[in-house]
Amino acid sequence: MKAFFEKIKKNEFYKMWFKDALPYITGAVLLSVFQIATFASTGNPCGVSGVFANWGAWLFELFGGSVDKWYYFSSPGAQATLNAGVLNHPGTWRNLGIIAGALFAAMMASGFKIKKIKSWKQVAAASLGGLLMGYGARIAAGCNIGALFSGIASLSLSGWVFAAFMFVGAVIGSKLLVKYFM
Amino acid sequence: MSKEVVLDCLGEACPIPLVKSEKALEKMEVGDILIVQIDHSCAMKNVPEWARKQGHEVELEEIDDGEWECIIEKMK
Repeated sequence: MKAFFEKIKKNEFYKMWFKDALPYITGAVLLSVFQIATFASTGNPCGVSGVFANWGAWLFELFGGSVDKWYYFSSPGAQATLNAGVLNHPGTWRNLGIIAGALFAAMMASGFKIKKIKSWKQVAAASLGGLLMGYGARIAAGCNIGALFSGIASLSLSGWVFAAFMFVGAVIGSKLLVKYFM
Repeated sequence: MSKEVVLDCLGEACPIPLVKSEKALEKMEVGDILIVQIDHSCAMKNVPEWARKQGHEVELEEIDDGEWECIIEKMK
């Protein structure tokens, strides 16, 4: 494996496609094209965090629980998605694809590394941040992909409102970060 | 005599390496070298970008798989 990477390291196309980060513009164009493809093929705009809620529901059902009475899953659409099962859920495949693709990209750039945990403070902050993000994304009915990116791409005003308040949240978050983590 | 400062940002995610580099460089003298150790690919992009924009001499070295050293010479 090492010999393989030693050999292709100097290849300019390898550098352009795998090693160096793509310019932001290229990334933006690719994202736009793929979100149109997603909309056309699945009938739903692209979303990421809503899938996790479904995964949670399937996991809960696996252990004998039922989410039929939960407000979040009470709509006929949500019930139909849950009843169709995890393997028939486009969002599940998309999320798995994102994880696999990111892993592939990191490995191709020989940038894969298992990172050490710096401190317990970092663990606590990351867990708390994750919980807040997950909770916030669900009560806002979307995250920065489903509500912001797909919202704006669908020419919906809600996407822009989401963007404005996410910016406010990011400013407050950055202040807290600098205050408690520097 | 110029001095060399090593900033360990291994295991830290964006934007912490960038903010830490800004603060560290602020305290240094012109001609000093700041070596920022990073293993977050987005910091590998934004730390050198910021330093170049500020007009400093920047070199990025790949130390190991997924590990970089951003060497910044303070120019002003």
